Amino acid sequence: MSFKLDSKIPEGPISEKWDKHKFKLKLVNPANKRKFDVIVVGTGLAGASAAATLAELGYNVKSFCLHDSPRRAHSIAAQGGVNAAKNYPNDGDSVWRLFYDTVKGGDFRAREANVYRLAQVSNNIIDQATAQGVPFARDYGGYLANRSFGGAQVSRTFYAKGQTGQQLLLGAYSALSRQIGLGKVQMYNRRELLDIVLVDGKARGIIVRDMITGDIERHSAHAVILATGGYGNVYFLSTNAMASNAGAAWKAYKKGAGFANPCFTQIHPTCIPVHGDNQSKLTLMSESLRNDGRVWVPKKEGDDRHPNDIPEEERDYYLERVYPSFGNLAPRDVASRQAKYRTDEGKGVGKTKLAVYLDFAAAIKRDGKDAIEARYGNLFEMYQRITDENPYERPMRIYPAVHYTMGGLWVDYNLMSTIPGLHVLGEANFSDHGANRLGASALMQGLADGYFVIPYTLGDYFANNELKPIDTDHEEFKKSEKEVTERINKLLNIKGNRSVDEFHKALGKIMWEYVGMSRDKAGLETAIKEIQKLRGEFWQDVKVVGDAEGISQELEKANRVADFLELGELMARDALTREESCGGHFRSEYQNDGEAKRDDENFAHSAVWEFTGVDKEPIRHKEELEFPNVPLTTRSYK
Amino acid sequence: MLAHNYFTSSIGKKQILALTGLGLLGFTVTHLAGNFFLFVGADAFNKYAYTLTSNPLIYVAEAGLIGMFLLHVVLALVLKTENHSARPVKYYNKTRTGRGETIASATMPITGVIILVFIILHLLNFKFGAHYTTNVAGTEMRDLYRVVIEYFANPLYVAWYCFAVCALGLHTSHGVQSVFQTWGFNHKSYTPHIKTAGVLYGLFVAIGFSSLAIFCHFQN
Amino acid sequence: MSQQEQLLNLNLKVWRQKNRKDSGHFEDYRLEGVSTDSSFLEMIDQLNEQLVAENKDPITFDHDCREGICGSCSMMINGQAHGPEKQTTTCQLHMRSFKNEDTVVIEPWRARAFPVMKDLMVDRSSFDKIIQSGGFISVNTGNAQDANAIPVSKENADLAMDAATCIGCGACVASCPNASAMLFTSAKISQLALLPQGRVEAEERVSSMVKTMDEEGFGNCTNHAECEASCPKGINLSNIARMNKEYIFSKIKGK
Repeated sequence: MSFKLDSKIPEGPISEKWDKHKFKLKLVNPANKRKFDVIVVGTGLAGASAAATLAELGYNVKSFCLHDSPRRAHSIAAQGGVNAAKNYPNDGDSVWRLFYDTVKGGDFRAREANVYRLAQVSNNIIDQATAQGVPFARDYGGYLANRSFGGAQVSRTFYAKGQTGQQLLLGAYSALSRQIGLGKVQMYNRRELLDIVLVDGKARGIIVRDMITGDIERHSAHAVILATGGYGNVYFLSTNAMASNAGAAWKAYKKGAGFANPCFTQIHPTCIPVHGDNQSKLTLMSESLRNDGRVWVPKKEGDDRHPNDIPEEERDYYLERVYPSFGNLAPRDVASRQAKYRTDEGKGVGKTKLAVYLDFAAAIKRDGKDAIEARYGNLFEMYQRITDENPYERPMRIYPAVHYTMGGLWVDYNLMSTIPGLHVLGEANFSDHGANRLGASALMQGLADGYFVIPYTLGDYFANNELKPIDTDHEEFKKSEKEVTERINKLLNIKGNRSVDEFHKALGKIMWEYVGMSRDKAGLETAIKEIQKLRGEFWQDVKVVGDAEGISQELEKANRVADFLELGELMARDALTREESCGGHFRSEYQNDGEAKRDDENFAHSAVWEFTGVDKEPIRHKEELEFPNVPLTTRSYK
Repeated sequence: MLAHNYFTSSIGKKQILALTGLGLLGFTVTHLAGNFFLFVGADAFNKYAYTLTSNPLIYVAEAGLIGMFLLHVVLALVLKTENHSARPVKYYNKTRTGRGETIASATMPITGVIILVFIILHLLNFKFGAHYTTNVAGTEMRDLYRVVIEYFANPLYVAWYCFAVCALGLHTSHGVQSVFQTWGFNHKSYTPHIKTAGVLYGLFVAIGFSSLAIFCHFQN
Repeated sequence: MSQQEQLLNLNLKVWRQKNRKDSGHFEDYRLEGVSTDSSFLEMIDQLNEQLVAENKDPITFDHDCREGICGSCSMMINGQAHGPEKQTTTCQLHMRSFKNEDTVVIEPWRARAFPVMKDLMVDRSSFDKIIQSGGFISVNTGNAQDANAIPVSKENADLAMDAATCIGCGACVASCPNASAMLFTSAKISQLALLPQGRVEAEERVSSMVKTMDEEGFGNCTNHAECEASCPKGINLSNIARMNKEYIFSKIKGK
């Protein structure tokens, strides 16, 4: 066992932990900050906010992204909103309530102290974004508007039309751009991380590929921050962007960072269904649609009638039936699973039978078409553009899709992984959402980490560690670069028969089938075997057209898929060893009549995996979780 | 005080182009109004022309007009050159969206060149044309009326003149709305009206001048 | 997955260019069996799979979110930026907008400021430089007061939001007969000028951003409105008017 998990949760009552901790953290003298170089990988909400804030403090920041511009990170696609405990609507919200809801919503698999801090700084996020010029929705008095989101009992969600992620990201991007203009951030666009370099056991640099020239570059620093997002694309089809990948996190894992709860994936219930084999990605329809839409399937199996021809009494409004108190607003994991049950029963609709209806007829009748258009007009338009069906006239077809990954690199309270100097922010880490993320919480977490946590905790790392000056001629850099180049050459020289996408699709099928919405022991064991087999075939038979020089999108994909082929196996292993159901992880052996059956006695812990070799079994560590403030209860939405 | 780099900036050049355009729009409509004396008769027209040209201030006005015109032409050329070089490799087939560019806006450089040629010929034919004299109410003055009527005796000249003033109408119809947009006036409450006004202005100029030419032709 | 899915056979004429220095040329491809339910980029994926199968270099193009929000995709389709549909990005354009046996010409954005890197991929870093020169409010993290301390009229907040929806794809530049970047630049200037917190630096901002825009080699605005017409987010021409106004006032004050 090479690493010990020390979560570094501060002592004291939960509401005082962060304040006390901030005071105890050592500071770096302002004049000394400029002596420290920090590498930030990724420019989404977490990465851009961290890079900008650290530069404001005086550190020398090198920021990396794989897009042509930092503004394109996939945080931009978040639609719904961002939560904060402002209690502007005076409806009983508080930091404590946001904390409570998030711990409970995560099905008691998150660290209480982190979640409380998240709730505390949520308000600062709204202030900061507003000051940056983020145009949040306002009411006629000129004050900020709120809405209820994802079944929350209070209105705590701030939003900017259906483009909240875009606006918050552009806010962080503008702060980052300002620092680039001032010369405090050196921006490296179109660079893909291929390795993390450790010197004396500490993260001291990275190896990247310039995606335009094909050059392999070495970059050194005193600390490395990964803000590289989640790994949902392991399923091939997901709501993630095409280039979203697990490469950085996976390299970190292979260098000794613990990977926590990889099986915790969120399947979002309201996505546009798959249309065919050439589908490249899935599109999310905002969860807010469930505020007015009613979800149903025909009661009869294989009912092929036009939905409008199916009479009321032959429809099964199953969410309303099963969960009378929450109805259509049941949380994401619950709603997704119920949709799967219905299609498993043969009651799915549409050509592929892998869809359920989301019907607005009742809402249009009640509030009028204009009111519905005002609320969801842009979403309806998007739906029609993609499906060529008019949702005002016939119910939408929706189906769950992979959306977010709660698991990620393990970090302590300071957001540092088990590798000293390697910090992980945003979706790439595992810390705050437990086994299920609530709506409008991802934006909150990314920005909390970047704006308000890492700027404090990174200084403490610098102050407590002696970091010898190094340059990129160090042996470790040379070694890393050699490995990276060898892997690229290996990929290019296989010259097999199957395209990268073929392998990715095959992996996606295995993952969706066995490590998807419902999992069981036999299936997971099959998945592990099949992934291992597929991985073997990949390294024998993949065809990567092109060469290492210049732009090669096939090579980029191949590198990512190679990582997914290892990560997928770890996810299956994690799911196999977590013998309980909680949040997004549902084991069919552990259920109460279709509802998740948690096992707090044996599984109230985060599983943290340690890499031992590609074809070797990893070691499973545990970080025990305690819930002194939010009593363990069974989530019930009935 | 205006920062000096205003005049070399994209917006600065454009705004001065618009401002000189606005001045020329004013001149055009005044010129047309004056020429309507042709409808009244020879004496009225000649008297109007005499009054205008005998005022010593005319030299100041002419200098201003020439200055404005030259600035307009030079800036248009500069902008056109810059715009041309902003896209060194052209599209294989660029089609209009049908929702933006209009015939008027797309042909601004062409109509501009037509107007330039027209104005040079116009000055040669009329201002520096044949010098007849006439006597109106005891005052000796130039018989510009005769110059005009003789010129338009040729139907080809009438056709060229009508063609050129139509180009002018097209040019100015885009010009009117462009002046407002370039100087920062755009609001959904009045911009549609400005666009209509621009079209009406263009039509007025095109029809007004053309009718004069045709009228004069039939005076022969 | 519309009820009327059809399969199309298409003749594609695609711009191929090895790198920045290469002069480039068109290549013709025949692609059969394209579902009308596929997006335009899924059609290109299908073509690329065909090319890979033939051991040919697949077409390089920028794309990422495929939801019409990241602004990566950038194709001139049959002479129109993002293709024929109004307010639609290339990734949201679906093949049902085309007919069987259509010839589809696909080119990269063309502008001096957007050099082609490979095939359909262009370098849009000029946009970043424009933002870096002033497209922000200079507020450090931690400086902010309570978000409700400054009320903003709903009208201005909504106008700011409309301007802020720009995705930085560059269709405005691509479709402008002059390759002008004024719609992009003015959208950011407008958004921040409309908000009280952005007013403080409004004059310096407009002066600096316009200067950078000019230096990057974009053309001038001649009010054709092709930018507005091809903008996938419907950014309005009134933003350019607002920028023009802001600009003259900033210059009068000698900024």
